Amino acid sequence: MKLWVYVLRRLILLVPTLIGLTLLVFALEHAGGPSVFLALYINPHLTGSARQQLVDRLTARFHLNDPIYVQYFYWLGAILQGDWGTSAQNGQAVTTNFVWFMPNTIMLTVVASLLTWVISIPIGVYSATRRDSVLDQGVRVATFTLYSMPIFLIGFALFLTFGTSWHLLPAQGNIDDNLLPTLSSKSWFDSNAVSYPTHIYLIDALLHGDVPIAWNAFLHVILPAVSLTLALLAGIIRILRVSMLEVLDQDYIRLARAKGVPERTVNNFHAKKNALLPTVTTFGYLVSGLFGGAVVIEEIFGFKGIGWWTTEAFLNSDIAVVMGSTLVFGIVLVLTTLVLDILYGFLDPRIRYE
Amino acid sequence: METIKEEKGRFDEWKLSARVFFANRTAVAGLVIFLLFVGDAIIVEVAPGLVGVQYPESVVPPLFSLTHPECVNQAPEPPSLAHPFGTTQYGVPGEGCLDVLQLVMKAIRIDLAISLFIVLVGAAIGTVIGVVSAYIGGLLDEGMMRVTDVFFSVPFLILALALGFVLGRTVLNMAYALIIIWWPLYARYGRSLTLSTKEATYVEAAKAAGSGRLKIMFKHIFPNVVPPVLVQISLDVGTVVGIFATLAFIGFLPSNALVPELGALANIGLNLAPLGYWWTVIVPGGAITMFSLAVNLMGDGLRDVIDPRRRS
Repeated sequence: MKLWVYVLRRLILLVPTLIGLTLLVFALEHAGGPSVFLALYINPHLTGSARQQLVDRLTARFHLNDPIYVQYFYWLGAILQGDWGTSAQNGQAVTTNFVWFMPNTIMLTVVASLLTWVISIPIGVYSATRRDSVLDQGVRVATFTLYSMPIFLIGFALFLTFGTSWHLLPAQGNIDDNLLPTLSSKSWFDSNAVSYPTHIYLIDALLHGDVPIAWNAFLHVILPAVSLTLALLAGIIRILRVSMLEVLDQDYIRLARAKGVPERTVNNFHAKKNALLPTVTTFGYLVSGLFGGAVVIEEIFGFKGIGWWTTEAFLNSDIAVVMGSTLVFGIVLVLTTLVLDILYGFLDPRIRYE
Repeated sequence: METIKEEKGRFDEWKLSARVFFANRTAVAGLVIFLLFVGDAIIVEVAPGLVGVQYPESVVPPLFSLTHPECVNQAPEPPSLAHPFGTTQYGVPGEGCLDVLQLVMKAIRIDLAISLFIVLVGAAIGTVIGVVSAYIGGLLDEGMMRVTDVFFSVPFLILALALGFVLGRTVLNMAYALIIIWWPLYARYGRSLTLSTKEATYVEAAKAAGSGRLKIMFKHIFPNVVPPVLVQISLDVGTVVGIFATLAFIGFLPSNALVPELGALANIGLNLAPLGYWWTVIVPGGAITMFSLAVNLMGDGLRDVIDPRRRS
């Protein structure tokens, strides 16, 4: 199969998944009946006749008196036009909230996934090439324990030790609270304490050459990023180790050894590349774990990303944000998986024939 | 004569399996810890008084602040001989003197029951759907795969939050939410296991002998699907406890629910731990880790029993 045929096939498979995803979120939103659905779009501070007018207008717009499948298409139309409802927490459009909070989560997950790979590849490979050595045993015990720890315990243990006990690193928020007054006087900040243009304090401060603020924002990223890394590390190391062990058992490795290739070259040149290839598929697992983990870690550290915002929305009955997040996280995960699958098909031609 | 021979063959197989499992020391350690947890759950269920547990259904005994006025606003005490894991405090008036060990013992019963419920129901639904759709194949199979794709397309913690939001924040609804998330995993697993046994010669022989679809599915395919699914179940019980507790920790259960659940217990200590009362969070969290670790070790041993290629 040519690469473009493979890509096209994956793109076609994407369509039913995305339709299914919208159906799922639509079903969740409508499960509570019309009044719960309407709450998505109505600013809760609105009362009296103005509210009634809005209810009437929305009922007409989403055709709430029509059959449910008709409603789905009107709902989908609104979603496609960027009308995702209003957050009950800050009265802003859900899409505005995503633009504010999503970049922070993306930064956190990108940093954590880079850290995970940088740490797990050498450990996994090293552990497999020295199978059953003291080091390998140690790695196995450590990964097994870490793998068994619930993510909240990992995050909270770091929060307690480095944050509140030893005061080594800031453990709450994206920036020190006492910097906020200084921030609001800057031109690249608005009254909602949102920075421009990227909405990530660290990057915006660097762009505007404000090193002290950037340094402070950087310190606030360390603990959440390390927690997220630790939560994912163990799973990836285990997969890598097994994959490397399988490759080391292949005939071509035995041949390479038999013809006298040095062990180091066998490991790094013959084995490592082939062992890393299947672990590209674990990227999908990694991304799903990163987003789920971000919810918990951001909540523990009060790190204002989309995960924190979703949890707050859940706790404060902000249905518009909870449903919007489900859809957004779904779309992001589906698209990431697509890119990874295509990348995998590109790297390993065998996969295209399956 | 034939039957006797067959029975004897089965007996030897069991003996071999047991020997492989018990030769694996870490797996046995996992089994022992797992049995300790199960034992705790059974004792708290049957005779809570035996281990000094009162009111196994609730974090705080009813009318606690009236019967124990000295405990109101009592700060958590560090681990000591009387309280091996220290004490904790609950609620806004701060009902103190709550023994963490006792709370954890109560919580293990609830966590174990719920995670078994989630995994067993999820596995039963998922496996049946997976086997049937793989065996029948065609459009049904294609459709089922797309449905599972949709469930995998949302990170599961977020899907759990959304489902919990719709269902309502109670322990049972949280379990339903996790079942809805869990069955597709088993549908995929059951499907792949069926696809690999579907083409076996003995299935074709059964077909040629005139067995119907249902008979083939239940008599010839299921027995090959169930053992690996059981191993997966044993591994998942550990995972589900962690996920369930994580959801409770970030506040899935309302704070007045009073359910002794490990994640909810950790949530109670959320504001206490930063003040130096670290054991209020770390002990319940440690109990989950111990349980998951035991189950993972045990599951690894079981996998070696089922898949001889993994024996080393």
